[in-house]
Order: sequence, then C-alpha cells, then structure tokens
Amino acid sequence: MSRTARSDGRLDNGIALVCVVLSLFGLIMPRSSRDRVAASLRTTVFAPVAALQSRAAAVRAAVDTRPETLRASGQVAARLLAVQGVADENATLRQLLGLSARLESGFVPADVVPSGAFDENFTLTLNAGSRSGVQRFFPVVTGAGLVGMIEQVDVARSHAITWAHPDFRVSAMSEDGTAFGIVQPHLGRGAERWLLELRGVRFRAKLDTGAVIVSSGLGATYPRGIVIGTVMAELSTPEKWARTYLVKPAVLPSAIGPVLVLLSPGTPRDLNGVWTTIASTDSAARAVAASGDSIARAAAFDELAARRAALDSVGIDSLRLDSLLRLMPGFPRRDSMPRDTVRRDTVRRDSVLRTSRVPGDER
Amino acid sequence: MSRPSSPSDGASLLRAWLGFALLLVAHFAIGPLLSGPVTPDFLLIAVLFASVRVRPGVAAVIGFASGLLLDALAPMHFGAAAVVCTALAFAASWLKAAFFSENVFVTGLFVFAGKWLFDLALAGVSGRFQTPGLLAHLLIWSPLAALLAGVLAVVLLTMFRSLYRPATR
Repeated sequence: MSRTARSDGRLDNGIALVCVVLSLFGLIMPRSSRDRVAASLRTTVFAPVAALQSRAAAVRAAVDTRPETLRASGQVAARLLAVQGVADENATLRQLLGLSARLESGFVPADVVPSGAFDENFTLTLNAGSRSGVQRFFPVVTGAGLVGMIEQVDVARSHAITWAHPDFRVSAMSEDGTAFGIVQPHLGRGAERWLLELRGVRFRAKLDTGAVIVSSGLGATYPRGIVIGTVMAELSTPEKWARTYLVKPAVLPSAIGPVLVLLSPGTPRDLNGVWTTIASTDSAARAVAASGDSIARAAAFDELAARRAALDSVGIDSLRLDSLLRLMPGFPRRDSMPRDTVRRDTVRRDSVLRTSRVPGDER
Repeated sequence: MSRPSSPSDGASLLRAWLGFALLLVAHFAIGPLLSGPVTPDFLLIAVLFASVRVRPGVAAVIGFASGLLLDALAPMHFGAAAVVCTALAFAASWLKAAFFSENVFVTGLFVFAGKWLFDLALAGVSGRFQTPGLLAHLLIWSPLAALLAGVLAVVLLTMFRSLYRPATR
C-alpha cells in the first residue's frame, strides 16, 4: 500500500516536473519559436477559446464605442441636414439666377429676414427697402412663382404680405387665357390653410386638374404671367353661375428664401414665358395655330366672296353674309362665337375646332 | 476528476468537469467585457477547484494546460503562466487536506492566497520587476483582484454546491 502510494507520489512528481520543464522550455525558447507555437495553439487546440475571447472583446469594443458612435451618427445627421439646407438654398439661388436672367431688369433681389415665422401672420420681412427702390404694392416673386406683395416699406427693410395672407388678392387666369378669376387664400383649416382659391371663373371655362394659373396683368400690382399655382380640384360653392377652383401655390412656405421684388409694376409688362418655358412653347403653338386658322379663314372668305359674286350675278340680294356663314360647315354664327375666342393672341386650335361645330352643340 | 470508483463518483466527476468548463467559458466570455485593474479570474478559480479534487499529477497537467492556454492567448511571456499554474495546481492538490475543508470561507481564503501568489509568481517568472507601477499593481490591485476571486469562490461554492464541492464520504 505504502509502496503504491510512494510510486503514485513519484508519478505525480514526475508529471509535474515534466510540465514545469516544458513550461520553462517555452519560456526560454527564441521569440520566433514561441510565437509560432502560440499561434499554432491558438489556431488549433485553443481556437474555440480564442474565438470566444475575440467575440467578447468585440462586444466590449462595441459597448465602449457606443456613445462615440451615437455622437458621430448625430453629427453626420446634423451635417446631412445642413448639406440638404445648403443644397436647397443653392437650388433656390440657381432658380433665382435663371429668373433674373429672364427678367433682365426691373427687380431688386432681397433676402427674407428671419424675424418671424412665416405662419405667424403670413408676412415676410425683406432686407430691401425704399433705398433700393422698393415701394408699396410691388410684387414679390421667386423662381417658382408669386410670393406676395410689398405692404410696408422702410428705408432698408420692407414687409410683404404673402399669398396666404387673408388680404391677398390677385387677378389671375389660366395659362392659355381661357379662364379668368381672382385668386385668394383658401382660408381652410389645417393643411388646407396653405392653399389658394381661384374664384369667379365663368361657368363655361372649365379647368382641368394641373392647369397652371398665372397672373392676368389686370390691375396695377401684378404683371401678367407670374405663376401663382396649379389647379387641384373644383370647389362646389353656392354660386352656380361661376366656378371656384382649389389651387396649389407654386411657392411653398418652406421654399421661400431669397426673393425678387419686381419694380414698377404699374407699367404694362408681360412676363409670359419668364417663369415657364411651357408657357412660351404654348404661346408659340397658339401662334402657329392662329396663323393656320387665319389662312383657312382667308380661304373661306375668298370662297365666300366668290359665292357672293356668283349670287350677285344671279340677282339674289336677299342672301346675307350671316346666312351664308350658317350654311357653311366651317363657320358658326357670329353671335355664337365668344368675343375672346376671336382675339388673335388667344385663339387656339381646339377653340376653333369647338366653334366649328354646329351651333347649339356647345354647352 | 480522477478515475471514478463508483457511479456516484462518476457523477461527481462529470459535475466537476462541467463546473470547470463553465468557469473556463466565463473567463474568456465575461472577462473581456469587464474593464479596470480588478477583474475576476475565473480560470484560476477553476484550476484551484479542480486541483483539490484530483491527484497532484493530474492537477499539474490541468494547471499546465490552463497556463498554456493563457500563454497562447497572450504570448508576450510564453511559458510563464504555464509554470506558475502548474506549480500552483500541484501545490493546491498537495495542500487540499489542510486548506480545502468543508468551511467555505477557508476555501475563499485559499483562493485569495492562490490568486495573489499567482500574480506575484507570474510577475517574477515573466521578469516584469522592472515594469513601472508593478509594485502598486502587486500591493494594491493584485490583492483586490485576489479578494474578488476569493469572494467569487465563496459565492460559487454557496450557489453551485454540487458543481464545485467534492462529495463528502
């Protein structure tokens, strides 16, 4: 028994000695050899433990850097917002540059002084005053369209009412000139407060959704052709003799930055095509259509003159021009044609086609 | 952890290995999550707990393997931890009759002494006596770490009795 115990003790001592010798051998090994052995142990026998330790260290590093990461992401978000603001301002300035190039002259650039929020009383404070030539009732515009009108003027500052102001009114028309009316704030609740109404449009002038509304130039404040907004829908009102349309403003409250104050609005000035190239394209199309119509009209009149000469030659004097016109399929009666549809600048091909139908079909 | 002589010894041995594995995992999974100069040394607790349940030779092998693991993961002084762990496990196995009694707090004191001795021996074997701040480390932080290890040992022995306390005969 004691011999067994002694042999076991010797065995234990021997094992411990071997372990110590191996450890000391590792301790005195050259550094390169130690590194190789350590690396081989890490990648083979102790690989799971090494992976576990690495994962825990990664978790710890993530926890440690969490506040820094949050701070950095916040800074990035703030910078992104600033960049977005600069980009928006850049776009507005580019738009204004393009607008000022098209306007050529007769305007004063101004910045909106951030003294009050736009939605407080629907007014703006501009850093251009009488020293710059700004006067009351001068229109205020941006590259997108009409903003409002100068209400008060100081030496170096001026205050303008915007299109959302309850006193705002502007004589407006559809871009093609077929519908006229007065644009005023919608005065609805919530988001609808930021819409406009086109009121007093004659019943026969029906506008489609998306039709562009511009200033008509009637009155002494706003020149013709400033974009006001686009038609969203028709409103039902008790006035059955006229139509009212809901209009989305061209200049949104958030987009009001640098503006232009148009000078001398009282002088006759047509700004058609300054805001939209579509308008100029359309006017060109109208001109082409009108010229085509004039050729057709001239041909018709020639034919009419020939018939009249023929009738005169047979002595039928009772036939008058109106009756002949009534007989001709291409010409309606004079009294059935609206006055504005025969104006040279407003005649469109479709209006001529419409008037060329048999009288009585048109409603 | 020695060869089982009965079914109950076999179950005890299995539980002992399970306890050792849990402490080993805790050392490398929880240890890196904690920062500061005083961190719990689960591996040394596992070695000491295992050593008192096996023969000195087996304890030396366990200590050697554990030290080698530490050296492999921190190879600046490869072999130092292996030497110290081997010696400590071998000594713990020899001294189990004297120190590893039924008293939990004595066991905690044994772990405290073992951990402090381990730090001292490791500093000596790895030749770090010239390192600035070593004295403060060995006299302030190392005892605190040893105290933490002792407290942890008491907690483990109290909460996981079946895993870490040998069956009394």
